[in-house]
Amino acid sequence: MKRFQSIVLAAIAVMFAAAYVVPSVPVAAQSSAALSIVPKKKYTIEAGKTVNDKLTIRNLDNEKELNLTLRVVDFTYRDDSGTPKLLLKEDEPTKTWSLKPFLTVPKQVKVEAGKSKTIDMSIKVPKGHGAGSYYSAIVYSSGAPDGGNVGLNASGVTLAFVNIPGKVNENLKVEDFGAYGTVGKDRTPSYLNFTATEPRLMAYTLKNDGNVTEAPVGSISIKSMWGQEYTIDNVNPNESLALIGQSRTFTSCIKLETEEIKMNGNTSEVKKCSSAGLWPGYYSASLNLFYGQNGNSTKELNEAGSFWYLPVWFIILVLIVLVLVGIGIWLLVRKIRNGGTSKKRSRRS
Amino acid sequence: MHHRLARFHSHNHPWNYLWAEAALALCLAFALLAAPTSALRFQDRSLYMDSTLPGATADYTVKFRYMSPDPVGSVDLLFCVDPIPHHACVTPPGLDVSNASLSQQVGELGFVISNRSTNHIVLTRASVAPAPGGLLSSYTFANIKNPTDSSQSFSIRLRSHSTPDASGTQIDFGSVKGQVTEGVEIATQVPPMLIFCVAEEVSEDCATTNDNNYSDMGELSPSSTLMAQSQMAVGTNASGGFAITANGLPFSAGTSIIDGPMVPTESRQGVNQFGINLVENDLPDVGEDPEGTWANAVVSPDYAIPNRFKYVPGDVVAYSPNVSLMKKYTVSYILNSHKDLRAGVYSTTVTYIASGRF
Repeated sequence: MKRFQSIVLAAIAVMFAAAYVVPSVPVAAQSSAALSIVPKKKYTIEAGKTVNDKLTIRNLDNEKELNLTLRVVDFTYRDDSGTPKLLLKEDEPTKTWSLKPFLTVPKQVKVEAGKSKTIDMSIKVPKGHGAGSYYSAIVYSSGAPDGGNVGLNASGVTLAFVNIPGKVNENLKVEDFGAYGTVGKDRTPSYLNFTATEPRLMAYTLKNDGNVTEAPVGSISIKSMWGQEYTIDNVNPNESLALIGQSRTFTSCIKLETEEIKMNGNTSEVKKCSSAGLWPGYYSASLNLFYGQNGNSTKELNEAGSFWYLPVWFIILVLIVLVLVGIGIWLLVRKIRNGGTSKKRSRRS
Repeated sequence: MHHRLARFHSHNHPWNYLWAEAALALCLAFALLAAPTSALRFQDRSLYMDSTLPGATADYTVKFRYMSPDPVGSVDLLFCVDPIPHHACVTPPGLDVSNASLSQQVGELGFVISNRSTNHIVLTRASVAPAPGGLLSSYTFANIKNPTDSSQSFSIRLRSHSTPDASGTQIDFGSVKGQVTEGVEIATQVPPMLIFCVAEEVSEDCATTNDNNYSDMGELSPSSTLMAQSQMAVGTNASGGFAITANGLPFSAGTSIIDGPMVPTESRQGVNQFGINLVENDLPDVGEDPEGTWANAVVSPDYAIPNRFKYVPGDVVAYSPNVSLMKKYTVSYILNSHKDLRAGVYSTTVTYIASGRF
């Protein structure tokens, strides 16, 4: 009996040791993990109407089939940028702005190696549904590998936005406005009241308390203490959106450069910020924004801001000038005093 | 005598100033009253287009409330891309109001179209003061050809004048915003696309991968750090750019989990720790810096510190705020274990999700 017990204990010990020590066996991936999709779709659909559209998916892998599982999930804002926060949990409650109840896509898609496939999608808005913005994300997940101890999986996402026209509640508030950029080693950009490097961006943060996504338009005027004026004609060149409830920071280049680039045979426009050649000194800025959906009031927002641009070389130059002026004054005072003293001496003598 | 004069002067001196101040105040009041009232903004401005399809012929209803009491003889409507009145006016591509007709008017009445061109309409009437209280007025124009560019909004710059031909000083002003949208979708010049691939090794353009979607890190030991790396490439011509998040539970075997540090942390042997970063490291020697010319596609700050690792599921690990053609990232994985770690086969699946931005 004792011998049996020791055999069992030894077997359990070997099992645990093996589980701890023995590496898992690699298993080949089941699917391609290289895909091309449409990143964003935008629709205007009247209540009671249905829109049928196509989604094109391309398998970039020339050898393996792309097996995708499609899921519609809600998303919201992650921070004040335009990066979506996907709500991936299966039991995630449906949001008030969710497009899930109206959006239909296939659950599984197979795309042959190196080929493209077009799939059907439809959005059906019920009759009498209230006006506003609705959005969700279509997640395309490639098949996960069955083995290895670090498995890799690639998923792509299409963000789908629908505007249902009608009377909506629109309410944007300006929370912040000014020059924008990074300071020192901090790589997270922020508003700048004082900067030693030439700012290339102006930004404004809007809080969206309405029930629609908003893409404001308008302009920014910047005036320097030396009289130069700079105007940003388009403060939302990418048609970026403030989601419902979001405090969204929109950035615009003080000087915008556009460049044409080619991607997969198509030509696209790239917008980049370049130096506007700002002089050191104090700058005041004014923001003039417009927003409003079709048939709703066009609302206007105005805000003022300012910043100092003082590069290190300029501060050093100012200090040198101040020191020189100080020395000059000291020499002048000394000369006057010496002159007075010599006159007194000459009078005494 | 001198004393008397001094007393008289001290008594009258303040009164002398008072008269001067009163005279100045009267002049200022007269100047203010005599000056023309400054222009006000039209209130409750809106535009309704009965069709928002690009290039379609539509009815436009412009609404606003007159704010100044001055007589209005004309209203000027200038259609521009930019709503700011003092900016140069660029006509929205495709728009044509030269055949527009005034089909309905409500509120302030009596207007007819006196002048119109591709992007300009002038309404005129006999100069009459608006009804007190700022009556909400609306004017519907039929037969307007919509702009064709759905990627940008347009505006109608409104001005009222006392003259019949919209000349001279403006009385009230303001802009309304409109935009054409495709019924099915907003078509852009180039279909936006997002290209993304993940494998142990990928090429920068995703044209080739080594088709290996797993990595075996070896045997856990409290005295060594297990390492692995994978690669991913991403690119988009969408103006909003992209974001990649890392998702999935940390290393686990049943209920036993090796958590990832919540903040960028050095690799420490003998401590339960699973972390990743996207830059070249020398402690331990693993990983590579991103490859590709697109400087705007960057690694998130927390995952861009050499020799510091972090893993929080759902974190953005790389992003671009605008168009960024292909860029390749190498992800480094480190795994450390405590000597008392429960025995088991520890594994994880990291799902990298690439999305566009809004």
